[in-house]
Amino acid sequence: MSARVLVAMSGGVDSSVAAAILRERGCDVVGIAMRLAPEGSTVATGRRGTCCSYDDFEDARRVAERMDFPFYVIDLRAEFASRVIDYFVGEYVDGRTPNPCVMCNRDVKFDRLWKRARAIQADFVATGHYARIERDAAGRRRLLRAADPSKDQSYFLFNLTADQLARTLFPLGDMTKDEVRARARALGLRNAGKPESQEICFVPDRDYASFVERRADRAALRPGRVVDAQGVELARHAGVHRFTVGQRRGLGIAAGEPLYVRAIDSTTGDVVVGRNSELGARGLIATNVNLIDPSFAGDSLERVEAKIRYRHPVLPATFRSDAGGRAEVMFDRPGPAVTPGQACVFYRGDEVLGGGFIERAL
Amino acid sequence: MRIYLDHNAGSPLRREARDAIERLLGDDVANPSSVHRSGQRARRALEIAREQVAAAIGAKPRQIIFTSGGTESNNAAISGAVNALPARRRIVTTAIEHSSILAPLAELESKGRDVVRIAPDSEGTVAAADVLSALDRNTALVTVGLVNGEVGAIQDVASLAREALAVGALFHVDAAQALGRISIDVNTIGCDLMTLSGHKVGAPAGIGAIYVRDPARVTPMILGGPQESAMRAGTQNLLGAVAFGAAVEAATRDIGAEAARLYALTEQLLAALTAQIAGLSVNGPRDRRVANTLNLTFPGVLGETMLIALDLESVELSMGSACAAGSVEPSHVLLAMGRSAADALSSLRLSLGWNTTANDLSAAATTIVRVWARVSSAEPRPLAAESLT
Repeated sequence: MSARVLVAMSGGVDSSVAAAILRERGCDVVGIAMRLAPEGSTVATGRRGTCCSYDDFEDARRVAERMDFPFYVIDLRAEFASRVIDYFVGEYVDGRTPNPCVMCNRDVKFDRLWKRARAIQADFVATGHYARIERDAAGRRRLLRAADPSKDQSYFLFNLTADQLARTLFPLGDMTKDEVRARARALGLRNAGKPESQEICFVPDRDYASFVERRADRAALRPGRVVDAQGVELARHAGVHRFTVGQRRGLGIAAGEPLYVRAIDSTTGDVVVGRNSELGARGLIATNVNLIDPSFAGDSLERVEAKIRYRHPVLPATFRSDAGGRAEVMFDRPGPAVTPGQACVFYRGDEVLGGGFIERAL
Repeated sequence: MRIYLDHNAGSPLRREARDAIERLLGDDVANPSSVHRSGQRARRALEIAREQVAAAIGAKPRQIIFTSGGTESNNAAISGAVNALPARRRIVTTAIEHSSILAPLAELESKGRDVVRIAPDSEGTVAAADVLSALDRNTALVTVGLVNGEVGAIQDVASLAREALAVGALFHVDAAQALGRISIDVNTIGCDLMTLSGHKVGAPAGIGAIYVRDPARVTPMILGGPQESAMRAGTQNLLGAVAFGAAVEAATRDIGAEAARLYALTEQLLAALTAQIAGLSVNGPRDRRVANTLNLTFPGVLGETMLIALDLESVELSMGSACAAGSVEPSHVLLAMGRSAADALSSLRLSLGWNTTANDLSAAATTIVRVWARVSSAEPRPLAAESLT
């Protein structure tokens, strides 16, 4: 009997192609799409009524029909709201810059998909992520960057465990975006040529500040001062949730030299700004660290390359961690602005060693 | 072999309906309104179908208006009554009606009508006295479903007609889930309007009917030509109508014996499941229910996962309602009966019908028990479901 694979399908091109590839390889594919964002918050569902539209998963359905595998839509909105949206709002209110995709993968998607997979006796969970899983000589599964560096999404997957990797498939990991698009066209997918979305799915207009203001308890919002390094007030602001470390625009200050946010103190409400040259950090402290190979944790200094934002090049660094999921990362050369709340992922070459959430810059 | 236990969503095409369609396709029929001989043959086929539908509910053929289905009939009943009695602002219904009743009423409410929704008891039965107490001389329409499609509760509608008449309101009965499941006689019920659906009795979807006791009392549904007594203009769906006529005749022929057969099957299934699934509970009345419907809350699992896992093992059933995207919503019927959202999300509906065999049900029972055991250990109902209200 062929292996049963639960394929997480978004309705987009990538996961549709992933499912088709697995089907062609003879897998017993079960397609599952997840309803995550609340109604009305995605562009596609901007219509009245309580249901999302049939069109949301159009391409997924098309592939399922064409390749003859069952396809279901499951409702994870309640969990998404409590685990992802509440976290997102809470982080901004606390002066940090959250990464909801990482949280969604860890606490909603993979967690639930694994349980659902067992419930339907699936041997593997597959997604359309661009990343690779390899088995080394010792039989250990390693998470690697995608073959196409411009598409690599391994950054978002650092929370996977070795056990999960053994039961996970990323069929697109060796493909380029162009190859995937060609496959999508061959499959007759409607969205084959559509540019992929870069925004956060539940804030399609990218106006995070307004979103936070709508969702947060008003009393929790922290207005305050914009100050320089000496504590001199340069302006007032409506809430620390409107700022992110490294941000330049929207500070409400006319200065000769461009000013950037250096730090945010949600207790006092102070947003500290400075010149570009003052932004750099020597390193960072990360918490909630997951190491795919747990034996990597320890007091010894390890060489890693740290990725402190999805679209940021890696920084050579030394790494030390404790068993409590806390890590200290020191860059070889002073790095750029480090943004608390974002994920810091540790690589060695193409391999993802693990990652965590940035607590503060050093 | 798939086991289909979702007749309340749509009953598979009956052989009688298929035969009727094939006979008609083999005949050169035309527009039933045309004067020529081909038109006359079409007209004859249409009128036979109308007689079959009328006979199934004790109506006269001219009181049957063919529609596109239950949803159209429900919408037409509401707009026909409300437009006929514009000065009356109140509409009385129940909290457990089909969306094709609740949605148009919500629309009317937003435009200033007074909509009263009577809550059922914990078993899904609406007390006639509660409906009666909401009636006044300002009431244009009373609309109640004869059988609830999600939990199978049969409502006592006969006692409502006289009171509705007394205050001058129109009385509509949605019998979409009742036709072919229980005997219906419009004269005993005494209603002004009744909704009938084709695909619930084994005709294809896309055909239904509305019984109109006195066409003079309601406004036409669709304006245009003189078809359907000028109540519903437009060339009739003749293929649908002949299938509906044949299906409803077959579905009502031995209705007592068929109901007894299905009742015994559901009781056996329930006994088997109750013995092996601790904490299983039944939603809906044990006695005053249609024989074919069982709504069950499975402890510690999501109905959604059960639905998928069972489908992968060839047992097809449903939760009450599905959204356009295909995911499931907590049933408004179960919520109105006082079940929590979490329990509603752990509930499944099994609805049997003409092609359900005893073998099907014993195989389904075995599969359901096995799948429940696996799902409840692999994916216990998450806490987040509790917060979904």
